[in-house]
Amino acid sequence: MKNLRFGLVAGLALLLYSACSKEPEPGPPLVYDPVPYEIDIPSWFPPMTIPPGNPTTVQGVALGRRLYYDPILHPAGATSCAGCHFQERSFSSGPAILPHVNLGWNRNFLWNGRVQGTLEDIMYFEVTEFFKTDISRLQNHPEYPRLFYEAFGIRQISHELAAKALAQWMRTLISANSPRDQSIWGVPRIFLPDEAIDGAIIFNTERGDCFHCHGGIFFTDNQFHNIGLDAEPAEPGYEAVSGNPADRGKFKTPTLRNIALTAPYMHDGRFKTLEEVIDFYSEGVKKSPNIDPLMKWAHLGGLHLSAKEKSDLLAFLHTLTDSSFIRDPRFKSPF
Amino acid sequence: MKHVVIASAFMAAIFSFLSCGKNKETENTVTLRLEHAVAGAPLTLNKIQYQAQSGHRFSVERLKYYISNVVLYRADGSTYESDAVHYREEGIAATAELALGDVPDGEYTRLRFIVGLDETTNKPNGLPPTPENINMEWPIPGEEGYHYMKFEGKYDSMGAGVIKSFNLHTGAAKNQPYYVAVDLTLSGLSVDNDNWNITLQMDLNEWLQNPHTYDFEQFGPGIMTKPAAQQILMENGASLFTVHAAVRE
Ligand code: HEC
Ligand code: HEC
Repeated sequence: MKNLRFGLVAGLALLLYSACSKEPEPGPPLVYDPVPYEIDIPSWFPPMTIPPGNPTTVQGVALGRRLYYDPILHPAGATSCAGCHFQERSFSSGPAILPHVNLGWNRNFLWNGRVQGTLEDIMYFEVTEFFKTDISRLQNHPEYPRLFYEAFGIRQISHELAAKALAQWMRTLISANSPRDQSIWGVPRIFLPDEAIDGAIIFNTERGDCFHCHGGIFFTDNQFHNIGLDAEPAEPGYEAVSGNPADRGKFKTPTLRNIALTAPYMHDGRFKTLEEVIDFYSEGVKKSPNIDPLMKWAHLGGLHLSAKEKSDLLAFLHTLTDSSFIRDPRFKSPF
Repeated sequence: MKHVVIASAFMAAIFSFLSCGKNKETENTVTLRLEHAVAGAPLTLNKIQYQAQSGHRFSVERLKYYISNVVLYRADGSTYESDAVHYREEGIAATAELALGDVPDGEYTRLRFIVGLDETTNKPNGLPPTPENINMEWPIPGEEGYHYMKFEGKYDSMGAGVIKSFNLHTGAAKNQPYYVAVDLTLSGLSVDNDNWNITLQMDLNEWLQNPHTYDFEQFGPGIMTKPAAQQILMENGASLFTVHAAVRE
């Protein structure tokens, strides 16, 4: 629905523009000749659905990257997106700052799911509601009008176009090269330490049962769950969006890709280390009334893992760190 | 302008696509509509309100499953077979209906399908990597495939009123297929250049009774590696569905 509206708005903008573009504009001639950008999707990942209204182009991705690293999006110029989302920390940093990993396949955004849809939708939210970007700053800039024209063939910069460029760039932030990936799909395959292999078994069986929520290639189901952090959840979570009291205390399952880089943990940043997280799943689970049934041992306070099981699970979580992603020059600041 | 041309070509493609979707005079569609109930009443989620034969009161919080291998039989034994693998999720209206392709004219008297997947699809990457299918993966080392069903909720364990969870996850546990074979009698389904809707109702209590009483307490919160539990569910599953209506559109 929202995408459709987005597409219509963009389509309308195109039509309007073509209607008025007959009048020559002052300034140097602008060139609109976008080059398709081939997103580098590894063979073991599913295809990515890209909204037809925003094809990925070299110019669009470059513009999105520049905007992401430029405080110009902030009305007071106080910070850029990268002021909180650090590449070396999987585009996360302090408490509750969600990372940017494989978001091109994501449909539910923010901890409580307040934005659902495409990357264009969440980026539109970021520039309008979160940053409240002042478009005139971009329009009056010596370079951005040209860069937007080269990316979209449109002279009038808008929140929609800024969101589209950011979305194109976000689609390229793919992390798929952790030791875990290399142990399955690498050429040659690498071997994981024994404790990580034992940890994978805990993770992917009902012993630890992590996979039911953090499973699959993305290490998240992209759904909402109350995992029993508190007997009485302090925050409504997904209930604030759905209006359903049964959704109280449910938050989006975060990806566990690069999880060792994104401390502290949980929607309120309550756990400083992965050890604390594992202790929670083992002994700290509270009987919240609408705790997820997949928290299978909630009535006993958790999984009651042995010390060895805990360290195996931890070793496994450490195999999910993709050190090439956090150094990839394509994702660094262009400035 | 190049982009305007592209945009209008795209619009034209959309319109022609929309209009050809409606152009199916010669196709007969038989649509299966999958509904859920407990003890005959429409399912409502998240409240401990149902009574299992084992004596436990229970709630339902999630229900997701596949049906596949759908076959329609004529009285003379000839068949129409659909190769669809259908994912159904309670609460997601878009999954409620399964349209069976171009069903030839004829009088159909029997409907068979399985709840779950057979060996051709129940293997790694056996299904397209949609978000739903990825979330149904069964990643247990050495048994990789998909869950056939996730039926989850909570029950009153009666021991001091302790609430516990149950997760009836069926699948090829220990590599033994435990899919449920459903075999239903149809009456009045005479396809004759027209479209039909068949409403099928799954009564969730039937997973827990008939012929065997399924006791949540006996098998614990997870049963993915418990063949005895899988066997009971498979056998109980035969009586899961009833045909509620077969009507011409
Ligand atoms: C002041 C720190 C800060 C800045 C600056 C910031 N973010 Fe965030 N970002 C956060 C926090 C905190 C969250 C999680 C908020 C929530 O879920 O309610 C978040 C969440 C997100 C998400 C959702 C990820 C997901 O998995 O759902 C996206 C996308 C995002 N930010 C993009 C951006 C973009 C684009 C910018 C620049 C326009 C930006 N952020 C600037 C702190 C920041
Ligand atoms: C019922 C679904 C579910 C299960 C099972 C589950 N998780 Fe989680 N996990 C979540 C959700 C939801 C969150 C975020 C919760 C919040 O902040 O309120 C989370 C958070 C986490 C975090 C912190 C992530 C971050 O970025 O802050 C880690 C680490 C984690 N889980 C690991 C595990 C491990 C290890 C297991 C198995 C022992 C496991 N989870 C089992 C749903 C689940």
